[in-house]
Amino acid sequence: MPNTYGNRTLTEWLTVLLGVVILLVGLFFVIEGAQLAMLGGSVYYVLCGILLVASGVFMIMGRTLGAFLYLGALGYTWIWSLWEVGFSPVDLLPRDFGPTLLGILVALTIPVLRRMETRRTLRGAV
Amino acid sequence: MRRSHLLATAACATLACAPLVANAQFAPAGSGGSPSSTVPGPGNGNAFEPTANSPAATSRFSGPSPYAPQAPGVNAANLPDIGSMDPNDVPQMAPQQSAAPAQGDWSAYGRDDNQTRYSPLSEITPQNADQLQVAFRYHTGSYPRPGQVNKWAAETTPIKVGDGLYMCSAQNDMMKLDPATGKEIWRHNINEKYESIPYTAACKGVTYFTSSQIPEGQPCHNRILEGTLDMRLIAVDAATGNLCEGFGHGGQVNLMQGLGESVPGFVSMTTPPPIVNGVVVVNHEVLDGQRRWAPSGVIRGYDAESGKFLWAWDVNRPDDHSQPTGNNHYSRGTPNSWAAMTGDNALGLVYVPTGNSASDYYSALRSPEENKVSSAVVALDVKTGAPRWVFQTVHKDVWDYDIGSQATLMDMPGADGQTVPALIMPTKRGQTFVLDRRDGKPILPVEERAAPSPGVIPGDPRTPTQPWSTGMPALRVPDLKETDMWGMSPIDQLFCRLKFRRANYVGEFTPPSVDKPWIEYPGYNGGSDWGSMSYDPQSGILIANWNITPMYDQLVTRKKADQLGLMPIDDPNYKPGGGGAEGNGAMDGTPYGIVVTPFWNQYTGMMCNRPPYGMITAIDMKHGQKVLWQHPLGTARANGPWGLPTGLPWEIGTPNNGGSVVTAGGLVFIAAATDNQIRAIDEHTGKVVWSAVLPGGGQANPMTYEANGHQYVAIMAGGHHFMMTPVSDQLVVYALPDHKG
Repeated sequence: MPNTYGNRTLTEWLTVLLGVVILLVGLFFVIEGAQLAMLGGSVYYVLCGILLVASGVFMIMGRTLGAFLYLGALGYTWIWSLWEVGFSPVDLLPRDFGPTLLGILVALTIPVLRRMETRRTLRGAV
Repeated sequence: MRRSHLLATAACATLACAPLVANAQFAPAGSGGSPSSTVPGPGNGNAFEPTANSPAATSRFSGPSPYAPQAPGVNAANLPDIGSMDPNDVPQMAPQQSAAPAQGDWSAYGRDDNQTRYSPLSEITPQNADQLQVAFRYHTGSYPRPGQVNKWAAETTPIKVGDGLYMCSAQNDMMKLDPATGKEIWRHNINEKYESIPYTAACKGVTYFTSSQIPEGQPCHNRILEGTLDMRLIAVDAATGNLCEGFGHGGQVNLMQGLGESVPGFVSMTTPPPIVNGVVVVNHEVLDGQRRWAPSGVIRGYDAESGKFLWAWDVNRPDDHSQPTGNNHYSRGTPNSWAAMTGDNALGLVYVPTGNSASDYYSALRSPEENKVSSAVVALDVKTGAPRWVFQTVHKDVWDYDIGSQATLMDMPGADGQTVPALIMPTKRGQTFVLDRRDGKPILPVEERAAPSPGVIPGDPRTPTQPWSTGMPALRVPDLKETDMWGMSPIDQLFCRLKFRRANYVGEFTPPSVDKPWIEYPGYNGGSDWGSMSYDPQSGILIANWNITPMYDQLVTRKKADQLGLMPIDDPNYKPGGGGAEGNGAMDGTPYGIVVTPFWNQYTGMMCNRPPYGMITAIDMKHGQKVLWQHPLGTARANGPWGLPTGLPWEIGTPNNGGSVVTAGGLVFIAAATDNQIRAIDEHTGKVVWSAVLPGGGQANPMTYEANGHQYVAIMAGGHHFMMTPVSDQLVVYALPDHKG
């Protein structure tokens, strides 16, 4: 079996990398979004940022919860954006296009995260 | 739609409480902050330009005294002074080509004396336009050479009279082309220096004049006149291109005469001068943002036969229409007019679209006389140079809402079946004013509506109201909201939302501020800019293209301006890039400098607001000024983040500069958009029926004409440095197949 303990596969590294990206976006959202909210702007970004930070941390830890938190944030993003601008493709583009693309990647990591989790459980049982 | 007045007032009151950045040089004025019902006068008692004995300015950087001699090269051809003559001695004008152009001609910048941009040609129609092909190209030879900063935007529209297509290069060389083949018949080089290019190397066109004094068949019976970037008025023979010896000094007049201290590139002419009842009227642009006491914006009349001086309209010398003598000069810093003017032979008027006093964003040092005529249409009597009427489109403008458009003349159906001689004045605000050209009274309703006032700058209150043309469709979108912020992703959208919230913004006429930036929408690129409008008098359809490009502005203290290295162009330490028009400016002589950028994400180069950024609208002027159709103008093919072309055919609506042509064939021809395409649009439906990619940006007004019995469409694809479109020196001319040159 190529998948020896403590030796991550490429897909697992990519999953961790995705987690780092989500964590960084989340931090940007929390910091800048808090300023926006304090200036009387939308509170979406700071709230979504908290979800993304948590998602990123769990994904880096190899926890499936991280992926589900991201998908939750994506759902929140769609509901918020439809509330804010309605079914206007031009306005949905910046709000949902990138997050949905990222969401597809995140969905693809779920089996990888499951495998990482299983392995960790096994390791814990040794 | 505008926000309610209450909201604007409340928000403005909040602004007024914001801490003001102290300025050591600024003496607080007691009158500051109190709104006035009349046009307020100077704010701090220093509204008069320095005298010969005034102490030197205290700023680190500052220009010379207005009494200093002109720098070498300002009088580009070293011409002697021109003499004056009595306007009553101007000979009766011969009938001009532009009064009634031949069917296949395009005799003036806007085709005819009414500047309609309408051609009665009809060979090209919505049915066959998709077959248009390049008939010929002509290279003007003017483009940036290695080592030269790109300041090019030719903006040229040829005129066509009889057997010639007459035009100028971006640097004012003049030429006559064969209209069917593009072959150069003559070319007159004027040897303009690179240093004379102001903000932009542009020559919008030349003027055709038929003399009543020189008999037909003699040289200079028909002449081509041109105003140049280096401030010469030049007349050449239409048949040969040779200078008209009887005009001025050997065919040239030095327009820097009487302007006082200046350097090359400070003052320039870019539009074709109109000739009204034998009087050639010249205006000029003065580089924005340099200094309060920049050279004068004086408007002058010269005899089209002899080039002799007739009169001046100098705003701060209202009763003196003569040339200054000795060491004197026209009053400094007065509103300049750089748009194409429109002549009216029947009423003996020239309609001058004015700009703003020098130092666009600070108004406390302007005189009451300036405040009455800035950002206005001024109808000057061509016999005297005195204004007959004034209609102001912005009161005490501090937003660079100078008028860039040329007025179009038309007959409006009146109440009693009679028609009213009307003038259509587009503005950068997207408010289009329709006036009676006999007295300047609005034909369609104009309302004075509450505007944010008094603002936050001490001693420089804003006016409590501004004019709105409620009878015409507004060429703008509603005031910006945070949810209008855009981007590629939520990340850059968040960046723009923060930028939006960090600025002062209470809708249109948000007053300038120094503690934080303010958002200016409509921006200074329009609304409508110099492309003006085209009007089909047969169908009554008015075609307007316009921008949705907000700006992000901030006043900076003199200390900060000095730190930024902002200095006027005539400062001895000035280097190119040290602040110029349409950007950061020193506004030397005022307490503040100005920092101006587009309201964009400076990291991606994308505008912060949602698309569209440019639109085209057809308005039915005969049946209640209804919008017939309106849609975004310009695709995303040549635009994208980080300036990368996306190649997408998506009609996103790009910023645009340059106007339209409307034809009896039922087509609108327009380039203008930053997608570098020219297109033909069905006048009645708005459908794009043809488009072609140009070799450079199509930021120019197209024109159409007939030669050898066939219709041609010409566009100068010169590009535009500020619009960031590729520069070329090509005039591209299209025709239906089998008529290629």
